Amino acid sequence: MSKSKPAFSAIFDRDVVAYATLSLISIFCLLPFVWLILASFDKNASLFLRWPSPWTLNNYIGIFVREGGARWFFNSFVVVGTATIIVLLLAGLGGYALSRMKVWWKRPFLYTIILVRVVPPPALIVPLYKILLTGNEAVGSFVRSLVSPESVRPAMLVVGLIDGYFGLTLVFAAMQLPLALWIMKTYFDTIPHDYEEAALVDGANLFQRIRLVIAPLALPGLAAAGLFAFISAWGDFLMPLILLSSSELQMLPLGLFRAFLRVQQIDYGFLSALAILYMLPAVIAFGFARRYFVQTFSGGVKA
Amino acid sequence: MFRKTVLLGISVASVLAMGSAQAKTIRIAEHRPARIDALKKVVPEIEKKYNVQIEVIEYPAPEKDYLTKLLTELGAGNAPDIFTAPHGSDVADMVAAGYLAPITKELKAWDGYSQLFDVGKVMATSQDGQIYVLPAMLNVQQLYYRRDILEKAGISTEQPRTWAELLDRAKEIKAKTGAYGLLFPAGVTWGDGAFVEGFRLLLVGTSTPQIVTENGKLNLTGQGIKDVFGFYADLINNDLMPIQPLLEPEPWVAPKYEMFPAGKLVVTTGGSWGYIYDWGAQSKNPIPNVTQVVGTWEVPGKTEGQYVLVDLESPWAVNAKSPDVALAKKVMLELGSVNADVAYAQNLGNIPGRVDAAADPDFQKLTELVPILTALKNGTGTHLNTAEGFSAVAEGVARGTEALLRKQTDAAGAQKILVDYVKEVLGGDAVK
Amino acid sequence: MTTYDKRSSWQLQLLLLPCLLLIGALVIYPALYSVYLSLTNASLVGVAATHPRFVGPGNYLRLFGDGGFWHSLVVTLWFVLGSAVIGQFLLGLGSALLLRRPLRFKNLINSIILLPNAVPEVVAGYIWISMLAGGEQSTLNRLLGLLGIPSVQWLERFPLVMIIVANTWRGIASAMILMMAGLSAVPPEICEAARIDGASPRQIFRFITLPLIMPTIFLYMLVSTVTTISIFGFIYALTRGGPGNATEIIGIYIYNQSFTAFQLGYGSAVAVVTLVISIAIGLFYVRALKVQV
Repeated sequence: MSKSKPAFSAIFDRDVVAYATLSLISIFCLLPFVWLILASFDKNASLFLRWPSPWTLNNYIGIFVREGGARWFFNSFVVVGTATIIVLLLAGLGGYALSRMKVWWKRPFLYTIILVRVVPPPALIVPLYKILLTGNEAVGSFVRSLVSPESVRPAMLVVGLIDGYFGLTLVFAAMQLPLALWIMKTYFDTIPHDYEEAALVDGANLFQRIRLVIAPLALPGLAAAGLFAFISAWGDFLMPLILLSSSELQMLPLGLFRAFLRVQQIDYGFLSALAILYMLPAVIAFGFARRYFVQTFSGGVKA
Repeated sequence: MFRKTVLLGISVASVLAMGSAQAKTIRIAEHRPARIDALKKVVPEIEKKYNVQIEVIEYPAPEKDYLTKLLTELGAGNAPDIFTAPHGSDVADMVAAGYLAPITKELKAWDGYSQLFDVGKVMATSQDGQIYVLPAMLNVQQLYYRRDILEKAGISTEQPRTWAELLDRAKEIKAKTGAYGLLFPAGVTWGDGAFVEGFRLLLVGTSTPQIVTENGKLNLTGQGIKDVFGFYADLINNDLMPIQPLLEPEPWVAPKYEMFPAGKLVVTTGGSWGYIYDWGAQSKNPIPNVTQVVGTWEVPGKTEGQYVLVDLESPWAVNAKSPDVALAKKVMLELGSVNADVAYAQNLGNIPGRVDAAADPDFQKLTELVPILTALKNGTGTHLNTAEGFSAVAEGVARGTEALLRKQTDAAGAQKILVDYVKEVLGGDAVK
Repeated sequence: MTTYDKRSSWQLQLLLLPCLLLIGALVIYPALYSVYLSLTNASLVGVAATHPRFVGPGNYLRLFGDGGFWHSLVVTLWFVLGSAVIGQFLLGLGSALLLRRPLRFKNLINSIILLPNAVPEVVAGYIWISMLAGGEQSTLNRLLGLLGIPSVQWLERFPLVMIIVANTWRGIASAMILMMAGLSAVPPEICEAARIDGASPRQIFRFITLPLIMPTIFLYMLVSTVTTISIFGFIYALTRGGPGNATEIIGIYIYNQSFTAFQLGYGSAVAVVTLVISIAIGLFYVRALKVQV
């Protein structure tokens, strides 16, 4: 980036060092994947590195043919996708509010929500389960009053807080919200107030201002916050493990966790293929989000 | 947002629900594919008999994760109607928590009751005299050895009479074949296994074979416990047992599914399932001709006696908070039918808990298991009395043996780890 | 404050309300519930499961005499220090600095470094089991064997170092992204001016770049410390805290107390103490780095 022109040898030397360092880091990052990729094409894969013999695609095909792979993908996308949308809506509005308002509890609130995330998930399982179960009973009686008895169970699979799409979606959204709020708040801090004030002069009310002025400006920040939330929720396995039971609701991490923990005999080929497919959406999301990250975070934190 | 979700949900739900018959639903928790497959074989019959809809819910396979989920749900009051306790030793803790519905009356009135093995009935009866679990299957454990390898190396295949003889045999194996001579599960990553598949097999042959006192407390300071830890220490310090695999995340995989079939481990503790699940028809790495090649010894006592350890295998229980306890009990008793027992025996190699299963033609085909059932009928089989706090004992034994594996302590030190852990978890007054 | 400001402030708080409700119900409330549980002998089995007793500070008193807890705290401290504060940060900052240069394959390298960050925790866990477990057979040993390097039982001999390495692997990208963002906010003109004044690259970094990216470093330290302390799934899948308790970070310790020993009350007390310690660390960062949000 520098505009000066040092001697040729200096560039050469420094670039060699840069290439060497970056190559080492890249090898470190890539090395662990070698086994995963080879094993996923190996009919007789084992836990350890070996050259596939014979090569096969059956591991991948089996995920959809023998197991409910398509269902797992669908459920993961529904739950994580909905959670991400909720995070975007709430963090967009909330982050804007946090950036613009001047109340005494703003900083304590921001620190509280980020620090409380330090509590490891196992400590939250039982309290979370209890509150969701209480909510679930309320939702249950509401649903029972609306639909015929035989539709109650299918309905609860969708709106139930325990063993239902809705509950897990809310949990994911709540868990991802604190970081998303931070990202959006710091992002809005970098957007000058001028635009809103111009809109205000034009007589726009708060909601018009948000829809017409703020939302378009917030897009890069939302992209970064949303993709962080998506990737993080996509990778979580403990909450689905505890909160879901019905086979209709099984998600990718559970399919994987189960395949891995079928105690006695693990099919490593199947497992690796599933792991790769499971990784893929997160990797794609990351590639997609990459260009927004720097834009969002640059100057994000005000000294 | 919420209203829309509800409306969407209801419309999706009503589409999904079309055509489903109206029947009461009973939810059964089951884990591990082999067990689930067995259960699914008998579900249609039961559904027809009681006009219920049975939903089989797959739980995570490892016992620890199975228990985490099940106990979280039991604690919150939202668990399935029917589930299993992994071992007989877990039952007392669940009973004390009030999770299990008593089934004494129903079980005694059941037509299968008279067929149940006495040892099963005894183990299923809690300290308060009530019965809370159905002893549908039994878990029968002893020592399994590679007959072919011993014969080839000119080593005796005679039943060892004492611990000393067993150790000598293991040393001879190591010296003559270079393979490991004996495996007793140990260490923390094996979970309950260190206790239920290892430690207690030796404990029943010591001078203090029982650890539950008359008033339901645990006596962990006995000489027997120290002697068992001492036996482990001998195995480990003489390099007779493969140590490295036991410290890894899935400690059973290498020794049981790789080293034993390959002849790199010659004697191991094991259950009747070895012939079917570990090395037999259901195995991925089977030993050809397994019943010929793999022989069994009873576990010798320290100085005398021979023991085959019997325990309840994943006994069924009914959730005390089930919305329809009466129906759940009826369904559960069906899981103790000959058909159900044989289905589980076929897939897992455990032994049916009832005498009349022996006459079932499908069971007769499981020639590996028939002699074991016959032996049970003839009264072989020792069991360990259990009490509240046994899950802590199992974890304490795992920690004690782990310290031995890592050569950080001796027998007395391992016993201290066990006692300290159990005291810490259960409080000082639970331990004598 | 004008009327407009007042009304606006009220409207803004309304915008925040859904966040407050959701976070309050599913993040703050469970944390407070843990505080309550920590004052009881609540359990998942036994009599205490249905009739928990209030034991006051009993669990906390026990905790201070519990060697396992202190051990776990020390392991966690090294884990956070080694992976988040040192490993991820240095490699992330280094990558960000180096990638500012006009190198070829820049985008490729960038993508490669981002890759591990997208790996779900269960997958990451068992990728690293393959790398490190299994003695001579481990993937790492087989790869090193190709170079003629003798095999080492990595997880057995250097358990803590290995989980630090594995977790560093997972997190380089997040450090790099933040550092890139911080660096992009440093005006090139200032560096240029310093260079003309004869400052060495090291001096420029020390006296210009570093102070300017300090707020970013603060944000990174705060977030990564918090998220690293709360790690559970990755290490659970990788070592379950073993061998022995060599990698029993606080998340695993809480899991073992709550779901292996079934002592919810005691496990919650550990969680509460962890929270208090992290608040102290948070305050320390704020003071030490002298930044405001």
